[in-house]
Amino acid sequence: MKKHKKNRNVAIIGIGQTSLSSHKEDQNQVEMVQEAVINALQDAHLTIDDIDCIVHGNMELFEMQFAPDLWHSLGTGAYGKDEYRITTGGTTGMTLVCAADNLVASGLYDTVLAIGLEKLQEGNTTGGITNMADPLWFRNLQTGALTGTTAAEMINEFGEERAKRAAMKYRIMMDKHAVLNPRAHRRFGLEYEQAEDLMANSPQLVGELRLIHMCSQSDGACAMIFTSEKKAGKGTGKPPVWIRDHIQGHREETIPNLFGAVKPEMTHHYCARKLYERNGITDPVAYFDVFEMYDPSAWWAMDWLREFFLLKGDEHIKMLERGDFDLDGKIPINPSGGVIASNPIGATAMLRPAEAALQIRGDAGPHQIKKEVRHALASGFGGTFWTALMILEKDLNW
Amino acid sequence: MAEYFGATVADIFNTMPERFKPEEAKDVDIVIGYEATGEGGGKWTATIKHGTLKVEKVEELKGCKTTIHADAEIFVGVTLGKITAIDALTSQKLRVVGDARLLMTLLPKIFVPFTVTPRKKAVSARAILATVESRFRPEKAEGVTMNIGYDLTGENGGQWTLMIKDGRCTVREGFAEDLAVKLIMDADVYAGMMLGTIDGASAFTSGQVRIEGDMMAAAATTKFFHKYVDPNAAEAEELICLRVTNSIDQRFASGPVMGRWFAGLKEKKFMANKCPECGRTQIPPREICAICRVRVHEFVELGPKGTVTNFDIVYFASPDPLTGAVRDTPYTPIYVVLDGASEQDAFAFELKKEDIDRIKVGAKVRPVWADKPTGSFRDVLYFELDR
Repeated sequence: MKKHKKNRNVAIIGIGQTSLSSHKEDQNQVEMVQEAVINALQDAHLTIDDIDCIVHGNMELFEMQFAPDLWHSLGTGAYGKDEYRITTGGTTGMTLVCAADNLVASGLYDTVLAIGLEKLQEGNTTGGITNMADPLWFRNLQTGALTGTTAAEMINEFGEERAKRAAMKYRIMMDKHAVLNPRAHRRFGLEYEQAEDLMANSPQLVGELRLIHMCSQSDGACAMIFTSEKKAGKGTGKPPVWIRDHIQGHREETIPNLFGAVKPEMTHHYCARKLYERNGITDPVAYFDVFEMYDPSAWWAMDWLREFFLLKGDEHIKMLERGDFDLDGKIPINPSGGVIASNPIGATAMLRPAEAALQIRGDAGPHQIKKEVRHALASGFGGTFWTALMILEKDLNW
Repeated sequence: MAEYFGATVADIFNTMPERFKPEEAKDVDIVIGYEATGEGGGKWTATIKHGTLKVEKVEELKGCKTTIHADAEIFVGVTLGKITAIDALTSQKLRVVGDARLLMTLLPKIFVPFTVTPRKKAVSARAILATVESRFRPEKAEGVTMNIGYDLTGENGGQWTLMIKDGRCTVREGFAEDLAVKLIMDADVYAGMMLGTIDGASAFTSGQVRIEGDMMAAAATTKFFHKYVDPNAAEAEELICLRVTNSIDQRFASGPVMGRWFAGLKEKKFMANKCPECGRTQIPPREICAICRVRVHEFVELGPKGTVTNFDIVYFASPDPLTGAVRDTPYTPIYVVLDGASEQDAFAFELKKEDIDRIKVGAKVRPVWADKPTGSFRDVLYFELDR
């Protein structure tokens, strides 16, 4: 397997977030962006003058604002600097990080600021997502990102009782993590004793996908600062977190061919397989100390854990049942509370590596994992099953 | 009655008739039950029938098509938008028995939203007088020596003297002996004038304010002080949001390959194309096989019948992307491997509503065509179970 060619190593040296909530009517988009950017600069002990290039990303279709980077430039600090705009749907945030990594690794820029944001309350998310569908055919059917097909498949494979329990245990576990994260949007304070009630009574959205299983629509922004191996750790605030490798995988464009009589290899599985192979990781569950996964729903999360960890049969469900994914478990999933708790779409996939990096630095806050985090995995998801997957490291020693 | 966010549960129902929009409810025939639990709670029904509304406080919820249940505080919070409805619904703090879509669709349509006007905390004359010294502008009162008396009558009243001398202003209770002017009015009129809700000139003209002594001196005093600012004013500050609706009329060229697909629909045929390398059929047809990366020229007719591989029963009322109208739920997109298709390639379409209860993976289905197909996705009305 060919290694990912990288001219030089790249470190994450600054992380800034806004709080994530359902409404941010006290600030406009520019002000929200600026809040995240200032937080990231302060975190890195840098000023905007130290930034060579800015990468900006959101889903312009959601807020229906063309070239939002122009409007946001006072908040991003892009005036007079090189800037790129990226908009790849749900993966936007992770694509921003991948692009920043590539920009620094290439040698073209030493220090790059990436900013991902969304104010979903200012637009129409379902309308935006619907416009993702092939205009020539699928728009007559597409209705946002809701589907119960995974629930149906899991119920078929593992039995109704076990599958429903697994999805609900995952959901409540995410809420328990979110309760600890002061920035998370939805913190319900759910208890495992409520599982039965929620399984039966939470309103159904699509099939067995119920309201409680589904992610939120949030407002918020995340900014990250990246720099070269040579500059990292010199006069900057926090210890650098290293980007070891990343991969992005797209599949064919149509949704229905996910549901043929035989299944294609999922992009999550494809990306995980390639990424581990070229980095010599044979046992991802043993190797990684945390996984910040883009989990739009509890059903998808459960199904995808099997794909990302290259597991077989019901291994992923057994792991959940054993508590392996808990905050103090073998491989904690989403200490932040994940996408289910907070989902400002253009920032969502960036929050995954951002939160994973905070875990490596050891300063995530109340949701910090107790044991040392050296190796972290972060994923992004979007479109018709597109995957972005990234490995972060504490030490530059691979 | 217990108040939450400045309103009671009863306020919501008492204002319902005046918030009702009869013209929007012409075709509505429904009884909705509401149960607010805890302090300040109760049960109400709203009977909406052909543009009329009847709200009743009841002992028991009977004959309701849909009932809504929540703790009184949640109830008021959600109604006022202080608590996000979708979050309350998700966490089960707000429960809907029956059709939860009402919350998102019908109710916002037929009712003007419930709001409470933030009540300003009353500011007393005494509190305003306590700020006089700090509002004094010595540069405007250079060389002025003057005692001004305030005789404020009524419940919140009292007597005060403002003493201006040597570039300083002090306030003390009671009257000094040598008053240049005395202003006599109700304490609430004074507060109103200072807050700007009562016009001083009008109050004087109408006799609400009496002035004894040097009237010109009284008029001159206003410039000696900075304007009084209500410390509670910030609470009522409005967050201004702008509303914009985009409506975009679009047209897309179909190209020769999809053009062939739509031409097929005109003849009530599903025209797929077949990869020359892997033999996979593609429906709708695509220019190349993405896996083999070769052009695909051969067209084959598939179906029209097929086998269901998966389906979605959709309860959530999302908009129809083609019209923007809220879809009628439940509806069911099905995934079908059409007869003659390769097993990787499913086709998606909507199932006939009457068949939703009987749909199963593995079921055989057939398309129902429009009378006069025109080469669009409306040419197939739906698929139905093939019996």
